[in-house]
Order: sequence, then structure tokens, then C-alpha cells
Amino acid sequence: MVQFTKRDQSYHKSLGSPTNALAKEARVLMVGAGGIGCELLKNLVLSGFGEIHIVDLDTIDLSNLNRQFLFRYEHIKKSKALVAKEAAHAFNPSVKLEAHHSNIIDPGFNVAWFKSFTMVFNALDNLDARRHVNKMCLAADVPLIESGTTGFNGQVQVIKKGVTACYECSPKELPKTFPVCTIRSTPSQAIHCIVWGKSYLLSEIFGTSEEESAQIDSSEDLENEKEIEKLRQESQALKKIRGAMGTQSFPQLLFDKVYQDDVNRLLSMEDMWKTRRPPQPLKFAKVMEKAAELAPVDQILKDDQRAWTLEENVAIFTDSLARLSSRMQSMKTSSKSDSAEPTITFDKDDQDTLDFVTASANLRSLVFGIDTKSRFDIKQMAGNIIPAIATTNAIVAGLCVLQSFKVLKGDFSSSKEVFLSPFAPQRLLSSDKPRTPNPDCPVCSVAQALLLVDMSRATLGDLVEDFLRLELGYGEEFAVVNHQSQTLYDVEETHNLTKKFSDLGIKGDNFLKVIDEGDENPRVDLVLNFQESSISPDDKPVRGVNFPPASNSEPPSSPIARRRKPVEQSNGHTADAPNGNGSALVTSDSGIKKRQISEIDEVEIPAKRSKVQSNGYGNSGDTIVLDDTADVAILIDDD
Amino acid sequence: MTEIVTDQTPPVLHGPSDKEKKYDRQLRLWAASGQKALEDAHILLLNSGSGTVGVETLKNLVLPGIGKFTIADDSIVTEADLGVNFFLDEDCLGMSRSESCVRLLQELNSDVEGQHYQFGRDRPLEGLFSDATFTLILYTLPIDSNNLTLIQKYANEKKVPLLSIHSAGFYSYFQTHLPGSFPIVDTHPDSTATTDLRLLTPWPELSEFAQSVTKDIENQSAHDHGHIPYLAILLHHLARWQSEHGALPSTYKEKTAFRNFVSASTRTDNAEGGEENFEEAVAAVLKTISSPHLSGAVKEVFDYKPDEVESVSSFWIIAEAIKTFYSKHNALPLPGSVPDMKAQSTIYVQLQNIYKSKARQDVLEVLETVRVHPGGKDIPVTEVEIFCKNAAFIKLIHGKTSPASIVEIADKEFESDDIAALAMMPLSLLPIYLSLNATSHVPSASSSEIVATISKIIPSASSNPRIVKAAEEVARAKGGELHNISSLTGGMVAQEVIKIVTQQYIPIDNTCVFDGITSRTQVLRV
Ligand SMILES: [Zn+2]
Repeated sequence: MVQFTKRDQSYHKSLGSPTNALAKEARVLMVGAGGIGCELLKNLVLSGFGEIHIVDLDTIDLSNLNRQFLFRYEHIKKSKALVAKEAAHAFNPSVKLEAHHSNIIDPGFNVAWFKSFTMVFNALDNLDARRHVNKMCLAADVPLIESGTTGFNGQVQVIKKGVTACYECSPKELPKTFPVCTIRSTPSQAIHCIVWGKSYLLSEIFGTSEEESAQIDSSEDLENEKEIEKLRQESQALKKIRGAMGTQSFPQLLFDKVYQDDVNRLLSMEDMWKTRRPPQPLKFAKVMEKAAELAPVDQILKDDQRAWTLEENVAIFTDSLARLSSRMQSMKTSSKSDSAEPTITFDKDDQDTLDFVTASANLRSLVFGIDTKSRFDIKQMAGNIIPAIATTNAIVAGLCVLQSFKVLKGDFSSSKEVFLSPFAPQRLLSSDKPRTPNPDCPVCSVAQALLLVDMSRATLGDLVEDFLRLELGYGEEFAVVNHQSQTLYDVEETHNLTKKFSDLGIKGDNFLKVIDEGDENPRVDLVLNFQESSISPDDKPVRGVNFPPASNSEPPSSPIARRRKPVEQSNGHTADAPNGNGSALVTSDSGIKKRQISEIDEVEIPAKRSKVQSNGYGNSGDTIVLDDTADVAILIDDD
Repeated sequence: MTEIVTDQTPPVLHGPSDKEKKYDRQLRLWAASGQKALEDAHILLLNSGSGTVGVETLKNLVLPGIGKFTIADDSIVTEADLGVNFFLDEDCLGMSRSESCVRLLQELNSDVEGQHYQFGRDRPLEGLFSDATFTLILYTLPIDSNNLTLIQKYANEKKVPLLSIHSAGFYSYFQTHLPGSFPIVDTHPDSTATTDLRLLTPWPELSEFAQSVTKDIENQSAHDHGHIPYLAILLHHLARWQSEHGALPSTYKEKTAFRNFVSASTRTDNAEGGEENFEEAVAAVLKTISSPHLSGAVKEVFDYKPDEVESVSSFWIIAEAIKTFYSKHNALPLPGSVPDMKAQSTIYVQLQNIYKSKARQDVLEVLETVRVHPGGKDIPVTEVEIFCKNAAFIKLIHGKTSPASIVEIADKEFESDDIAALAMMPLSLLPIYLSLNATSHVPSASSSEIVATISKIIPSASSNPRIVKAAEEVARAKGGELHNISSLTGGMVAQEVIKIVTQQYIPIDNTCVFDGITSRTQVLRV
């Protein structure tokens, strides 16, 4: 029997008893205790939710305090999840709260754990974690309320397996990568120089030089093979200079190496500069002649919003290099001899690394005749900074809770997908009916099932022969891949069949995917969630549970649905794809492309806006490109 | 609680201050100028009713660093407050509500100064206005009509923006009352819309530049030809088109033909089979080959007759000077920015300078007119510069002009509701506004009382099932707020306050109704 206290009065009155009781008995998970998370936790506690679990691996930073109101100065560097829990607990001790200062991707948070919740709220700041929670909620068949913000923009959507579209039903913009040659040899935009400073120079000097940068795409093609070999040698030579760290001549050695010698080598490849402006090398001694009359370094550093001059950049280059070098030296002295070499990696909030990247990127820009940038701008470009404010978080969190009431009642059809459109002064919010799942979605169009496995004896052969072929009626051609997308079995790959799963590195809570490769009327992909189980020795060691009923049982009959033909559907926002922790950088190239799109029928901006508005209701099937903010990618995020 | 301690001492602070770091994420939206305006502001909340939505609004203003806030309230904290107001705890029971809320709100941000004014029998509300000046006043409904008259009088005299908020159950609305005309210079237009290149009306320096880089275009080297800035390509072809056709392309059909004409000049006998700069030129035809026309919003500014008080403000002095500039040149001052394009960097810099110096020249001309005005002596040059740069996007919101009467609005809204189902359009949220508005001065009312009040203005109210339903919902809430609805509404209201205080972005005009059952908003001009 649910007890109501005097405090429950107001929501009791307005929500009505049944919903209030459902909220009180609900056990919900909130992933992320940042901008949206703080607001959400407050609203959940004050809306009468009975049990709330909080997961966040982040610690509190100074730049969070302008919106994450559960945190104070004294909490900086403490766990967000734990501090948020304490704050909410002090407010309402009767709510059961549990906090985990960990990564939601940790395997301990398995399907069974997700299943234990009434619903899950995503209040995350990155694409990977969002995708992971989306996948887990689909596997556990638990409703997910997904949300995000970028500056004044925001979005909320309800994801329910088989009923509404999932997070990946519309493609997401991926973080931008650049070809290695653009970064190392032929930069043409400020961002190329910033990536060079951050992912190449800084990491070669202070990091482990072998580390792969996610932003540099070094997949080679034959044409570039020679150049890439040259670049390898260049890195080798840089490593030698690294040995001079701490000596007086270090800044000059490094400077002349990267801004003079390497540039001269590039210049010697005349072919490269036939259609490009050739770079102009810089010499340390020569630049330093003029640097003498400069203002003190501290004064230049205060000037955050102005692009520095050549001499100022050299002064900051030298100064930040000295700061980083001495930090490195003291890290080396204090580290134990048997531990790994200490490293310094880029962090937008680490002033020394930011100064170094700003100066070294600007110097490279000057070499290649590219406009330089202020440190304020470079911080945003290098750090993928997404603007964030309290107001948007408050609106989005409130909308999440409103959707949760629909979820509590199982009334998914009246849930809404809501976009904040603060620049359409006629609406502020635009609410759409939830989209239906995309039949081609690589994540939610698959069949999901639980597989009970006796790990002491089950082999891959038991799964392939007894279970998939005999029980599920799979034919000759299909593949079984593991969670790392490695093929364990297909028609040509049969040598694993006699191996036990434990020998193949498969454990409980892992996922295996079965891909039907038959030509005729193939099944949708089948995702099997492994659960260790002690099965009686008389029974087969592999057993499936809760198989979905066949939705289109075309012959040959199978409990796994057949792949459907794609159907176009949209609620007008699919092209928006406003998600993920992608790079916030959009190059002028893509700007041009967007302009081209908008020119097709000479649509003016106001017309576009109204088009989007009128599309908010009913499914006209139009795909609208919401490129009102054409050169600011709409990335929904909040850290 | 787990302590997470990094083993690395934090680096010595260089560069931006702690404050800039704390506000970094929002400075990227409204810049230092917007932040300064926030920090100079003093917001008053006259709190009444169940008292949550106003405090939630303030929370969203204290966090980004509003300078000062004051809460005026005559209530004492009760048990019911605790269930909806995050900024009150058990220890506050029986205490002054304004004092308790100020104390807890202030914990959010030590940069912000909070004051409280508990009024009552022996301390009238009037006392509040004797020595304080406010940038903006928020008040929550339902409100005592005498108190409302008092703040309306103050706001009217001092030209202070007023914002009213009403949140009950699943419904809320808020309304801005701007004093007189409210002009905005920094409207943050879409950056693609701001490109203004004047290709149809080039000035002499620009024409000369285009001629020099397209000289002997047929015989230019592959490198030179592939690096002509697309602006020059377009100007060159426009000149040729004009000499062949006797006029510049103006219709959509002509522009399409012109696009093909430019495209045909691309050299394709190279490894790439084309030229990037020509592709850029082709892509830019429809967007850039158009004669400048004044937007309706700018026309409105030009047509507006500021009153005596307004006309001495820097906005109207500069606007007048820009109007003079426009009537002389049939164009607004040039913004002066040049988009990225394929070009040799020396040429590109040259092109940038041509636009920059023309923009500077335009600013000087406007400035000259400004200086002639008796009130224009002390207007800073930067203000004139910013105005010129944004001239095409300035916007005026009329606070004073009276909107259509509520009866007219209702007729229009309910008429479109009749066809809404067919058109798959959402239903009007006007019934929510009417029902909440009917309880503006009473803590709660029965649904029949609410319908009766509405009927005084809209006689057919009782026969409109949607009004009756909304009235029932408002009656059911008994004047109680739902924290979640008030928090969400507080987010929207604070956003409008920020727009008004920073004079950036365009505030709503003038009423926003929220329906928490369908998660929808509607903006009405009431
Ligand atoms: Zn999907």
C-alpha cells in the first residue's frame, strides 16, 4: 500500500492518484548527473518518484557551476553522482537514492540490471554512452527517455522497443576526422592547424607518440604512401629533440624543427604547391629579434578574445613549453621507476596545454597563410566545447518528466518528441508525435533474445547446429559475430565449432549477433544476450528464452522475422540528427554544401522556418533540412 | 562520500579569471557584453500564490550571474511549500518565505547579491520602491489587485519591463509587458543570412579588383585561373551578361541561365576535371545575385515615430542616421564580412580589405549624421559600428500598440480550431490562458466560477467544451503548482528575461501558453 504524505499533496491533486502511485512505486535510472541531470533529479524527487539510481563517471569542474545547481565551489573534483545524491537526499530523505561513480559502459551494468528499472533517463554528454544505453534498453525492453541540449537548442524523445524510433533510427553525425596529409602537409583551414597542435605536436612531445589520434585518419592510399613514410621519419626526428626537454635550447630546437626544417622539406616537393600557396618557413632567431619589445607574457595571456600577433604567439609558445616541460620533469622525478612514462594530454581546461596548442596552431597558420584565431575560439574548436545554460536544461528536464508520466501509464502514443526552437518566436517548443521505428535501423530492427548457456560444456557447434539450425530453422548461410564484430562462424569459418564459448572469450552478459546471409528472404539480424546458467546435463547446453513471435511468417516459417522492405517515414525532424558528442567543427566545405541544398528552390530562411513549423503535425513525408544554423552544427550535448 | 583527489597540482592560473571560466559555456552565447548587462541588472520578484515558479525563474538567473535580485513576499513557509519548492527546507517552516528563498538561492552563486522584502500589515509594499531601482520586474499570479496596480504604476513611470507568470497544475503561461518600443540591435541572425556582398551594385574599388584578377581570363595559368575568388568570377560574368543582355539577371529563370553561363567557363581539362572556385561561384549564384531589399522588420523601424523620450536614445539617433543613409544610397551600410572561399591568401586578404574599408567608410558616413544630432555627441563609435553591422537585422517590438481585443483573438482561434482536426493542426491553447487568467486574483475557483468569469468577456464560453475542460483542469489544481511544470516554465521565463536584459535575441511577443498534458506551447499576442 502506497502511503501519501502531506508533501505529496500538490502532485497528488494534479497528477491524480493512479499516476502518483505509479511514480511512487517506480524505480528509475538516471544516466548522467550534469546539466540536465541536476534539473532532472530535482524534478523527479519533487514529482514523487520513489527510487532513483544515478550513474555518472565525471567529477565536478568550475565551468559546470553556471548551471549544475546541485554543485558548489567546495565540490570541485568530487564525483557528480555522489554529490548530486547527497544534495537530493538532504532535500527529501524519503526518496530512495543510489549513486554510482562509474561508467555506464562498465559490463557490471548488464541487461538484467537494466531490466530492474521501470524506465531509464539519458542525460548524457557523448555519443558512445548514448548509443550504449539505447542498445541496453532495447535489449532489456525498458523504456528510455533520451534528452540533450546545445546552447538554446534541446530535444527530448521517448524510446520504447518496437513502438517508437530508437536513438539510432536516424543517422548521427560522426566526429569529424581529417586525412593525415591535410593535417601534416597541406593544411588549409585553422582547424587543420589546431588538430596538428593538439593531436600531433603536443602528443609527440608530451604524450606517447604512438598513440592514435581519433581526429587524424591515417588510413593510407597508395598515392600517399611515400609522403606518409616521410612523415614517419619526421616524427622520429622529433622524438630525438624531445630528449632536449628542460635545456635552454629546447624551444629553439623544436621551433626550428617544425616551423622551418619540416616546412622546407614540404617546400622541396614542388608538385604539392602547384595549385596551393606555398608555406613560408619561420626562423626562431629572426622572430625573437622583434619579440623583445613585447608586453609581458602575463599580459598577453589575459587577452583571451584577440588573435595574437606572430611575436606574441612565439612568446606564448616558449612560455607554455617551459611550463609544460617543468611539469613533465617533476612528474618524472616523482614517478616510480617501474611505472610507465608520465604523459600530458590535451585538456581544454588545462591552461598550459591550451596555451601551447593556441600558440603552436597559430604559428602553423601563419606559415601556411591561414587566419589565426583567439585562444577563446581555439578553446572551443579544440575542446569541442558546446555552449550550455541553465534555462535550456530546466526546460528539457521538465519535458523529460512530462514524458515519464506517459511512460508510467504505458501511453506511448501520446508521448511527444519535443524540440526546443527558441528562435522561432512563434512557438519556443515544437512537439511532434513519436516517430515509428525505422525498419532499416541497424540497432532496433534486429530480433533480440536471451540465451541460457551452460558454459561448462556448451560449444559454438551447439549454438550453430542444435539451436540455430535445428530449432530456429536457419539454413546453410549465416554468420555469428561476437561483441567486437569478429566473425566466430560462417560457411568458410568452421574451425571454432568444436570450441567451448569460454575458449572463444565469450562470457555471461556478452552479445552475439547472428546474421542471415541467405539470398532468399533473409531473417533480420538476431542479437543473443548470453546468460550463464546451469542446465541439467540431460538437456541441451544452449536454450533460448523469450523469443519474439514471428511478425511476418512468410515461408519457410521462422520465429525470427524476415527483413522488410524499407519504408520512408519521417516526422520532419529526422534530418536534424542533433546528437552525439561529435566535433563541433564544421568546415567551410560543408557550409557550402548546405548552402547548395538551400538553393535548390531558392528557399529563403523565413520560408524554411515556416516549413518546419507546419511540418510539426502529421507526417507529410517531407524531409526537412533544418540548417537554419548552417555553419554551427546542431549537436545536442551537455557536460 | 568519496573524495577524488588528483595527484597533480593544478597549474598556476594564467589568462582567464575564475569568473570567466565559470561562465565560459554561456559567454559563447551572449559574449562579454551580454554578461555585463546581466551583471548590471537588478531583478525584482513579487512572489505570491504558491510561490514556486518565480523562485525557479530566479534560480536560472542567479546561476548565470545576474547582478542583484530582490524577492518581495508576504507569505510564511508552510508544509505545503516544501513539497513543491526546492529552495525551502524543514528548517524554514514558519519563517519568512522571501528570506528563506533568498538565503538558499544565494548559495547557488556567491557573485550574486540577494535581498528580501517581507511585506505585510505593518510594512507596506510601497516601501520597496522608495530607494531601489529595478531593471525588470517579475510577478507571479494570482496576485492581490492592489499590489498589481502598484507595480504597474512603478513600471510605467520608470519604463521597466514587467513579466507576469501563472502556473497551476499542468498549465502555465507567462506574459511580457515591455515599456513602449523595445528595439534590438543584436538579434543573432542566422549566420548564412548575414552575407551581403553587393554583387549587383559593386562600388568602384570592388569592380577594379574584379577586373584586375580576371584580366585576360582565357589565358591565365591553371594556378591563377583556379584561384580567382568566386566573387570576382561572378562580377566578371555579370559584366559580360549585362553587355550581352543589356540588363542584369533578375528573374529566377535568368539566374538559372546565368548559373549555367558561369558553369560553362569552368576549365575541365585538368586532373580534377573541374575547378573548386568555379564550383563555389555556381553554388553562390542564387544566394548572392539578388538586389538588396529591406526586411519588414527594418521597414518597421524606419517607419516608427519615436516619442520625445525615445528619440534621444542612442538607438533612435543611430536608426535615424541609418535611415538617412538608406534614402541616399538605396542600401544599408555594408556589414563588411567576406565568406571563406578558395583564393590565394594575398588576394583574399586584399578582397577582405576592400569590403572592410567600404564598411568603415559607411560607418563614418553614419557617424557623421549621428554627430550632427544634438544627442549624438557622446554615442561611442563602437555602438555605431555594431549597429551598422547588424543594420539588416534590427528588430522593434512594440510594447504599447494595443493588440486585437481578446474577443477578436478568440473568434480567430476558435474558428481555426473548427478546421484543426481536418488540417491535422494543433488546437488553440487560448482556453488555458482564459482559464488561468480568470483566476488572476483569487487563490482558487470552481470550474463554473471560472467559466462565468470568462463569459463576461466571451459570452459563448460556456458552450465551448474546450473552455469548460480547461476550466475544470484549473479548478482541479486548486491554485497548486506542480514543481515540474513550474520548473519548466521558470526555464522559459528566465530565457526571456535574459533576452530582454541583454537586448540580444528576439523576445516573444507577448504571451506564451504552456500545456503540460501535451507538452506544447503557443505564443499569442494578447
Ligand atoms: Zn532504431
